[in-house]
Amino acid sequence: MRPVTARRAVRGLAAVLGAAALVVSAAACGAGGASGGKSATRIVIGTTADVVNYNPLVGNSRTDSWVTNLMYPKLMSMDMEGKRVPHLATSWEYAEGGTKARVKIRDDMKWTDGKPVSADDVVFTIDAVAKEKIGVVAGLISSYGSAKALSPTEVEFTLTKPDGTFLDNVGFWMAVVPAHVFGKAPSVAKFANDSDWVSAGPYKLTKVERGQRYVLDRVTPYPLAPDNTPNLEQVVFRVFGDVNTEVLALRNGEIDLVANALPPTLAKSVQNDNKLKTVEIPSLGWAHMQYNVQRAPLDKLEVRQALAAAVDYEAIRKSALQGAAVSSDSSVLTPTLKQWHDPSAQEYRHDVAKAKELLAKAGHADGLTLSMIYDQADPNIAKWAQLVRDGAKEAGIEIKLEGLERNTYVAKGSNRDFDIYAGSWAIMDNPPANLGLAFKCGGFINYANVCDPELDKLISQAQEQTDPQAAKDPIQRAARIISEQVYDNVLYVEKFTFAHGAKWTGFEQRPSELLSIVNPESLAKAKAN
Amino acid sequence: MSVETATALPPSESTAAQTWRAFRRNPLGVAGGLVLVALALVAIAAPLLADYPSGSSDDVLVGPSAGHPLGTDDLGRDVFGQVVWGTRMSIAVGFAASVLAIIAGTAIGVAAAYFKRLDTALGVLVDLSLSLPVLPLMILIAALVGPSATTLIIVIAAFSWPEVARVVRSQAMTVMPQQFIAAANVIGGSNTWIIRKHVLPGVAPVVVVSVVMTTSRAVLSEAGLSFLGLGDPDNWSWGTILHNAQQSGSLTTAWWTTLFPSVAILLLVVSTTLLSVAYNDARNPKTR
Repeated sequence: MRPVTARRAVRGLAAVLGAAALVVSAAACGAGGASGGKSATRIVIGTTADVVNYNPLVGNSRTDSWVTNLMYPKLMSMDMEGKRVPHLATSWEYAEGGTKARVKIRDDMKWTDGKPVSADDVVFTIDAVAKEKIGVVAGLISSYGSAKALSPTEVEFTLTKPDGTFLDNVGFWMAVVPAHVFGKAPSVAKFANDSDWVSAGPYKLTKVERGQRYVLDRVTPYPLAPDNTPNLEQVVFRVFGDVNTEVLALRNGEIDLVANALPPTLAKSVQNDNKLKTVEIPSLGWAHMQYNVQRAPLDKLEVRQALAAAVDYEAIRKSALQGAAVSSDSSVLTPTLKQWHDPSAQEYRHDVAKAKELLAKAGHADGLTLSMIYDQADPNIAKWAQLVRDGAKEAGIEIKLEGLERNTYVAKGSNRDFDIYAGSWAIMDNPPANLGLAFKCGGFINYANVCDPELDKLISQAQEQTDPQAAKDPIQRAARIISEQVYDNVLYVEKFTFAHGAKWTGFEQRPSELLSIVNPESLAKAKAN
Repeated sequence: MSVETATALPPSESTAAQTWRAFRRNPLGVAGGLVLVALALVAIAAPLLADYPSGSSDDVLVGPSAGHPLGTDDLGRDVFGQVVWGTRMSIAVGFAASVLAIIAGTAIGVAAAYFKRLDTALGVLVDLSLSLPVLPLMILIAALVGPSATTLIIVIAAFSWPEVARVVRSQAMTVMPQQFIAAANVIGGSNTWIIRKHVLPGVAPVVVVSVVMTTSRAVLSEAGLSFLGLGDPDNWSWGTILHNAQQSGSLTTAWWTTLFPSVAILLLVVSTTLLSVAYNDARNPKTR
């Protein structure tokens, strides 16, 4: 009897050990796979998600942007300080007191079916965006009236009111799509654009293997590349389960570049690897917490101030971000935006005693309980959310963390169904426009539900100025109100780290994770030594 | 007559004593039991063993050392403290989910065996539930409802009861034809009384084994869901430690952040398996 028992037990043990080994190895390996990165005529880029939308006007995930940016031109690109620089457009100007805006575009850019990229395409695109209210661009062009092509290379926009943010917004955010292709669809917003792509970037999408890879082939001539020819024959995006496996693949030479910004811990280890090179890119956005000011007790200024005083900002930058972040001075005009930054802005002081005092003043001396939502897939926020919770606890505020799956998180944010919203904006480069969306009454991304007439007035004043210098004063006053009223608690501005194989050179750096070194100009010029 | 039959049966203490004697002779089973007791003690005595890991420190990703026997994580928090406090959460969630699953599974299993008219319908329900893709559904529900300990307990219990129901029904089917059941019916015992006094004691041994195995599976499910980021972010569990390691990118650079919680999970699963195998063998006269 006993040997049978022992054998059963050993069998049970072996089965459990085997299963555990499988679990451990699966966790360690994650998604795996294909070859790549060996040839100098091809660059293999790692990403952690599939393309969800091939329609560049609709898609807004990072992977969507990385792939469609290589296919559909925008009127403008931006330099490292967020200033607009020519791309499809060669020059632009306002006229008639800011109620007209004119853009001249290149005459040498062509769609992959041979037709020229023309002013008609620009007019078609903006009309479709305005009419069908497509994506974030629609929210940015509220002053748009109409557009007409003055010639094949000139467009004139008529605005319903003077708007100094219009050209910057349309220029950078709106991808131009081919009218002769997208125009055939009954609805541009619903056009999936998931096959037979007609594009005008340095590379065209030719092959899709969902969950595996996206292959883009070189397009010639491409006027923004040296000698009209992108250096590489092919750009391949490979999909990985997570950033750990991406970096393993980069170390093994399976891929040449990781498109995602590396979490600070991984960035440190990659910096010590001589087979790899890292690139530091500043963010044009910020990480923040927004308090739902329409919901008690967050409607009380003292409660919001108490929450702000309970945060150890330095610890967040030092520990959660491993030093890869700078202070925002608790202002929406972060130091990265040099032309807008207000030097008098000061970071909220971490002061637990003050937080308790404010809480008592607000009638919550016994403490209070709030919940905070965040996207559980965002590694940095998931980390600092824990520090915010622990800091608030010392001040007598219990913050219940709700790390949510992305779609649930986005839905709760859109429905303003939260106490505290922890998140980050990727690009907030144009304060008059961005603050309008984020803080004006009913703004598209006004998650804090702010409705402050004085703030609205100042933002509107700034938006009406066609000269950025004239917009500076009202926008700085608006930023001071946002900070004083704690409508937004801007925590830090991140410094992103990207990694690529040491043999690669020629990348053109752009700010933000959306552009970084995975942008059309950069991949048209990249080469391997 | 029925009273004489009942008193003629060997006393239950005797069976228990025989089972206990046989169990003690199985070293792996005893070891499994001891490990489980040790884990339970760690869970109960967590506040005495380690401070609750919170905040941050400058000792980021420091390997095992005298100050931090299991190293620190990417925020400089003690991994030993996380594993100790994680034991409490993992076992609590596992046990609570298991108890819920056992109650539901036993009720449905016994009902199916006792009430013949319900057998087919409940059988279909159990088969249907067993055929569902459990992990994706667990992920879906946990993601939609939002992460919390309560969510985890309910989600895990909701997908664990069918196996219990099937095992309990099989055992109850062997109890039903027994003469003492027929006799209890003859003397006019109510259904509730018969189930309580005769059927439930008959299925008790498999329920005991099920409690242990379901807890083990529930702990694994909790670890899996937490690893995927669907755990309770306000409490440490073994899966949460693994999730943090994966998310922070220290999975491949700081082995201690993943090894120790994995070992804890392994210990619990192995010990419950050994314990239940040993108990099963010990109570079965053929393998005793």
